[in-house]
Amino acid sequence: MRDRGTIKAQKPGFLSAAAFTLGLIIATAPAFAHHSFVAEFDTKKPITLTGTVTKLEWTNPHAHFYISISDKGSSTTTTWDFELGSPNGLERHGWSRSSLKPGDMITVNGYRAKDGSNLATARSVTLADGTKIFAGLPDDSQTQ
Amino acid sequence: MRGFVLSLSGFALLLVTLTALGQGDRGTISGDVKDPVGGIVAGALVQATNAATGTVFKSTSSNDGAYTLADLPAGSYDISLTLAGVAPFELKNVRVTAGKTIRVDINLREGSQLSTLGEDPSAIATDEKRHHPPSGPTPRTADGKPDLSGVWWSPRTIDAGNPEFLPSAVEIARKRMEDNRKDSPSARCLPGAVTRIGPVYQFVQAKDYLVMISDDDSPGFHQIYLDGRPHPKEPDPLWYGDSIGHWEGDTLVVDRVNFEEQVWLDLGGHPHSDKLHVIERYRRVDLGHLETEVTVEDPGVLAKPWTMKRASDLAPGEKVREFICAENNKDVEHLIGR
Repeated sequence: MRDRGTIKAQKPGFLSAAAFTLGLIIATAPAFAHHSFVAEFDTKKPITLTGTVTKLEWTNPHAHFYISISDKGSSTTTTWDFELGSPNGLERHGWSRSSLKPGDMITVNGYRAKDGSNLATARSVTLADGTKIFAGLPDDSQTQ
Repeated sequence: MRGFVLSLSGFALLLVTLTALGQGDRGTISGDVKDPVGGIVAGALVQATNAATGTVFKSTSSNDGAYTLADLPAGSYDISLTLAGVAPFELKNVRVTAGKTIRVDINLREGSQLSTLGEDPSAIATDEKRHHPPSGPTPRTADGKPDLSGVWWSPRTIDAGNPEFLPSAVEIARKRMEDNRKDSPSARCLPGAVTRIGPVYQFVQAKDYLVMISDDDSPGFHQIYLDGRPHPKEPDPLWYGDSIGHWEGDTLVVDRVNFEEQVWLDLGGHPHSDKLHVIERYRRVDLGHLETEVTVEDPGVLAKPWTMKRASDLAPGEKVREFICAENNKDVEHLIGR
């Protein structure tokens, strides 16, 4: 199941592959700290988009990045807003304000906002060089 | 569904079906464990306690989130699961019948009654693996008191206690949770719940005061006066309450009263009354460990005092970054209740 994450529960001596074998980890603590996750995002609406980063807001209570996606058969583009965790948590897990730069081509997995707007919470980000960055729940394909 | 009574604790949501499987004089309980957003929870310890004998049976969820409690003597069982970052799960009076399998899927709900964490479980799981609290004696201040100063990881729940909320408080909490907590103060950059400590937090201790700083609350700090002053005679409600502390041996006892009406008692959405009185007892048992006992007294919402215990590991090298919530709070307009 590519659209579901796997949590490794706390257990002495239990190692999560997601935590240590993949280098850069993002754990967003997105909606749970500041606001309710389920009030804003819909886990029944997973989304995967590929586009170009146009802006990163390294702000509280959540960092956001924006990607521009070319509309099929058209010269126009659509912008999507992806919400991350707060900078304190992101920095604790290896991210910084320079992790994403305008112009970066990325593929993002996440969950759409319930209100149908072009807003989503980012769960994982794959950079152009193939580096996969977790943005939320670890991808189950990467866990033990 | 038959043969047992559902009893939910901590807003756990569950699906139970009874399936006739197998033979023999014993039965089985099995199911899946999922996190608040539907993700698989691997490695979670599910416990079933036989109501008659007190015998505890355990099963750890597999990498696909499945657990099986097999070979259970027929009888009544209480099923429980406690996991950092989510509300405790408890289901009482699950009836196991010989030769049959009861299916109990555990769908965990966000937040905890203790408001200790309330964070993304994967973040907590990652953080906890980074805990390497140093060993050594309890540091002390010049006057010989234990020094609580330092950055501490999010506290773990040691004992959740057993809060008995009055029906009126239960009803308010039910409505708030059903509404996805969309109207929570924290979503509007106001302080989070009274009983929440952390997530990562810092103590700065001086002779006459102690300051607690949270890395994701707004404004995220409050003062605890240690200079012997009493609470104000005239109530002056504050979001963090009025906090005074004194030492009982090596334990710092913090007394908190006068809370602003709007602040929630816990992340479970329970309210409080003007009678709320919180007593926190902090004991730094050694250099790397801090034990906390919190007692909540509020005859306006609780049938009796509620005591819980937590423990934090020192987080050397970690910092508490500023959290200016109003900087870019875009969420409110997107929050949708049920």
